[in-house]
Amino acid sequence: MDNKYIDKMLSQMDTELSSKGMSRRDAMKLAGISGASLLVGSTQIHAMEKDQAPIEKSGVTGKIVIVGGGLAGMSTAARLTLSLENPDITVIEPNDLSVSYQPGQTLIGAGIWGEDDIAYNRDDFVPDGVKIIKDRAIAFEPTQNKLTTAQGQEVSYDYLIVACGLQLDFERIKGLEEAGRCYSTGDNSQLHKTLGEDGICSIYTAEGATKTWEQMQKFIAQAASGKKTNFVFTHPSTPIKCGGAPKKIMYLANSRIKEAGARENSELTFYTNGGSMFGIPEYHDAVLAQFKREKFKWNYRHNLIEVDKKNKIAVFDAKWQEKGPWDPIMKEFEVISKHEKKKVSYDFLHIAPAQIAPREIAESDLGSAGGWVPVNKETLQHIKFDNVFSLGDIAQVPMGKTGGSVRKQYKVLVNNLISKMKGEPLVAKYEGYTVCPLITGIGTVMMAEFNWEVKPTPSFPLDPTVERWIFWLMKIYALKPMTMYGMLAGKA
Amino acid sequence: MKKVMLSISLISTVLFASNNTSTYKSGLLLPPQADIIYKRQCSKCHGDDGKQISFKGSARVTYGVIAGLNTEDVAKTLKEYRGGVKSKDYQLLNKYGYGALMRSITKDLSWAEIDAVAKYVNGLK
Repeated sequence: MDNKYIDKMLSQMDTELSSKGMSRRDAMKLAGISGASLLVGSTQIHAMEKDQAPIEKSGVTGKIVIVGGGLAGMSTAARLTLSLENPDITVIEPNDLSVSYQPGQTLIGAGIWGEDDIAYNRDDFVPDGVKIIKDRAIAFEPTQNKLTTAQGQEVSYDYLIVACGLQLDFERIKGLEEAGRCYSTGDNSQLHKTLGEDGICSIYTAEGATKTWEQMQKFIAQAASGKKTNFVFTHPSTPIKCGGAPKKIMYLANSRIKEAGARENSELTFYTNGGSMFGIPEYHDAVLAQFKREKFKWNYRHNLIEVDKKNKIAVFDAKWQEKGPWDPIMKEFEVISKHEKKKVSYDFLHIAPAQIAPREIAESDLGSAGGWVPVNKETLQHIKFDNVFSLGDIAQVPMGKTGGSVRKQYKVLVNNLISKMKGEPLVAKYEGYTVCPLITGIGTVMMAEFNWEVKPTPSFPLDPTVERWIFWLMKIYALKPMTMYGMLAGKA
Repeated sequence: MKKVMLSISLISTVLFASNNTSTYKSGLLLPPQADIIYKRQCSKCHGDDGKQISFKGSARVTYGVIAGLNTEDVAKTLKEYRGGVKSKDYQLLNKYGYGALMRSITKDLSWAEIDAVAKYVNGLK
């Protein structure tokens, strides 16, 4: 546990709180009881560990292989180490910075954090006794209980956990084919070479977030100098990790533009492939009200399909429905779906890329037709192979490709895996909780929490649809230590 | 931590010992291995030497000799066959009626892999 780091974050937070005449104790009261568990100091984290129901160690044995050592994989490995007397755990992960704190990329994109703030080394978070294979698993034989890595090493297992994440698919956008597919961390030089330096950016990679801030400054300066500037933000047609990020970067850009006094010359437009702002009606209404208040423009059912870098034109596939002829049998008018290409000129274009399951999973017996790993959405057990579990971005659960979902999933998965090893029924259930701390400006965050029933499930006794400064402090200061030192230790 | 380091070094020794490239698959974001891709995807029609011009046993099917073609031209053509966006609105290259076939072969290759294959084709004598 890195106490020094947490103390530093907390003292920064205290400074901000005291400037508003508030103590941390008051802030915790305001944030409510479960907020208190987030806003803890280093000594309090130890206290919290004691408060929690102690993890019972189980004597069951079996070789557990985890594919993917990101936040989901490493947190699971840590918790399994705590839960088993004789853990035999292997994690397969090629990327050295796999556990980097990706939620921070929005903040980097707006110049609030730097890349150093989110870069974390996988090897610093390997629980004692867990073996690491620095390689990619590329062939799976779930009927034989074995897999093969890119270097040709065969790994057999008794239990397999798939947590290999997803890939960003820039290559499906015409004009950016060269960018190829990539992961959020790792070497993305090809991607950034393709995106270039003329207004196209994406916060979905760490390096891309830094570049987003560079580009954003450039075009804010252009707007401030009196030139009309179009800021365009996209949202793709596939499931994406952190569904709020495309909007968060728009809100933050708006804050920075206002800061520079350039709002008059700036037009901010959001193009989403979906038909609403948010899947949950309460949050949709809240976001829509924020869009109106900030005078943003928005277009539903627009999917980015082409970018003309030279002329700075983005082409969207716009879909709509028209009333057709009367159908005398159904006694209804027919509905005709139509679509056309719509050209939009941009100065600054933020792309949220389409996101897909890696090919090795999609084409293996583990993947479903859509590529994701089909699991029971409550027990996280594979629907075909009962010794295979999955969590995180690659798992086919209806909601929430976020770190907040993983925080609930990995505990459920570990409980169920141990039940399975004991031969008992799987009782732990994932309720679909996910959270989206939607940054609506520098200094305000709307804490959108929800579950399967698409009902807001706030952790705080406060109206969740209101943007609050206290949530901003949590997002900036408290969520990272909780993730890096709580979850990755298998405890939070 | 020591234990971890030890196990890492142990595993890497095993790795190097069993270094076997036959597990390579295209489209997985691995470093491209042009010879394997060529053998699997191209050689059946174009021949191991890139000079085969008809499929064995079928006189009607003909192909061009590809051995030694300019690297950039081959790469450009393959990229045009492959296309990017998955939409009906964009017409993909369909040279000599082989568009659908070439697309099925190239659609999973990354740009880096196509470049590597083009270089390999150029090097065929």
